[in-house]
Amino acid sequence: MNNAAIIGVGQSAYTRRPEPGQSTHTFIRDAVVAALRDAQVDAADVQGMAVASFSLAPDTAVDLAWKLGLSLRWLLQDTNGGSSAMNMLGHALRGVETGAADVILVIGGDATGLAGYGKIASNYNIATRDHLAPLGHGGPNGVYALVTSRQMKKYGLQKSDYGQIAIAQRAWAAKNPFAVYRTPLTMEEYLAAPMVADPLSRYDCVPVVAGAQAIVLAHPDRGPGGRAPVRIRAHRASFNYDNQEGDGLQTGISTFADDLWKQAGVAPRDIDVASIYDDYPTMVLAQLDDLGMIAGHDLARYCRHDIGEKRVPINTWGGMMSAGQPGGPAGGLNGISEAVLQLQHRAGDRQVKNARLALATGYGMTMYRYGGTAAAAILERAP
Amino acid sequence: MSPGVGIWRCRSCRTAVFPQRLLCPHCHGQEFDEDRVHEGVVEEISIIRHMIGQPDWKPRRIANVRTASGPSITVGLRDESGPGAVVELFEDEKAPVGKAKVR
Repeated sequence: MNNAAIIGVGQSAYTRRPEPGQSTHTFIRDAVVAALRDAQVDAADVQGMAVASFSLAPDTAVDLAWKLGLSLRWLLQDTNGGSSAMNMLGHALRGVETGAADVILVIGGDATGLAGYGKIASNYNIATRDHLAPLGHGGPNGVYALVTSRQMKKYGLQKSDYGQIAIAQRAWAAKNPFAVYRTPLTMEEYLAAPMVADPLSRYDCVPVVAGAQAIVLAHPDRGPGGRAPVRIRAHRASFNYDNQEGDGLQTGISTFADDLWKQAGVAPRDIDVASIYDDYPTMVLAQLDDLGMIAGHDLARYCRHDIGEKRVPINTWGGMMSAGQPGGPAGGLNGISEAVLQLQHRAGDRQVKNARLALATGYGMTMYRYGGTAAAAILERAP
Repeated sequence: MSPGVGIWRCRSCRTAVFPQRLLCPHCHGQEFDEDRVHEGVVEEISIIRHMIGQPDWKPRRIANVRTASGPSITVGLRDESGPGAVVELFEDEKAPVGKAKVR
C-alpha cells in the first residue's frame, strides 16, 4: 500500500449572490485551479477525481472531467450531502493507497441561488417531497428546529447557549478573508435576531452561498517542499445508523467514535483544532458529544465555559454559519481544508499555535426527521 | 382530508413504520399490512416563519408527534396545540396533519 496525504487545498470566492456568468461549474473551476496551484501539481498529472454537488446536473462527474480537461483512471460522484466531503476523502485516501490513482482531486461546489436551494430542500428525497414539503416544513430549518427543541429539553440548554457557538465562530470568521460574514456578533444581536423556525433564529441557520472547494491527495513526497503533508490517521463513516427511529440527538458518529479514536491512537484531549460540520449549532453539539469531546455530556457547560470563555478552537474558519454554506459538500470540504491549513501552520491570523492533530467531521442527508449520514477523520501533521 | 395517517405494519414482526419501507428495519420482512393511526402526542413544535425564495410566506406550525402506534412523525398543526397535547391525525394528500383531539 502506498502512503497518502493531503498535499494541497484551494477554494473559490464565496458569494451570497452569483454574478451573471458565474455557475457551479465556474466556481468549481476556480477551486480546482487554486488547489492544483497550492499542491504544485500539473492538471495533466491528475489521475483521479471525486465530486459532490447538488447543482452539477445534468452534468455528472465525467462531464466535469471533460470540461476540466482531465483524463482519469479513477472517478467518483458522491451524493451524501454534508458528509460527502468526508466520504470522498475516505475513498480518495484508499484510491491513492492502493495505487488506483497517484493524484486525486476531491471537489465540492454549488451555486443554487436561493430559489434553487428552495427546490432542492423540498425535493431532497421521496419522504421529504411527499410528507414534509406539503406541510411547508421550511426545509432543513424546520427539521432541525424540532431537533433543537428536543436537545434544549433533554440537556437544559438555553437559547443563549447556541449563541455562544454562533458568536465564537463569527470571531474566527473575522480572520478569514473568504468568509461572507465577518462583522463581530454580540449576544444581544444574536438574541434579538428574527426567528426563522422557532427556536432557530437567523444566526442559527447557515447562509446559502455560491462557491466551491477542492483538495489534492497524493503520496506525501509529492507535496510542495518545505511544507508538512497532512496524513489521515483514522477515518470512519456511518449511513442510516438508526432507521430514523431515534431522537436525532445522537448522530451516526456515535456508532464509530470509539473505533475512530482507537484506530487513530489518540484521545479527544489530544486534538488541537476541530472542524465540526455546522449546518446548525445543535448538530455541532450532537457530534462533539458523540465524539466524547464534551465532559459529562454537559452540553450547557460546554457552550458557556469551553466555547464562551475558553474559545476552544472549533470551526476556526468561521464555520459554515459565518463563512457560508456553498452546498453541504463544499461546506464539509471547507472544514477539511481548514484542518489542513491549521496543521500546515498556514492559517494566518487564525492559526492555532503548534497544531499537530485535527478532527474533522461531516453530517448530512436529512432523510426525514434528521440526518442519516456522518463521517469523521483524525488528521495529523506529518513529521 | 381523510381521517388517520397511513402507516405500514410488518406482517412478520408487526413493527409499524412511517414513511413506507421496502424491508422491515427490524426483521427485514418484505410484506406489510396497511394500517392507519388516528392520534398521537405532540412532543415538539416549531413555527416556520420564513421560507427561502417565498417573500409572501405566511407562518405555519409543524410538530413532532409520537403516534399511538409507535413511530414519530412530522405533522402540520392546524391549531394552537402545543407540547403534551393529544392530537387527532388526518391526511392532506400524503401529508400528515393534526389538530387537538376533542374529548
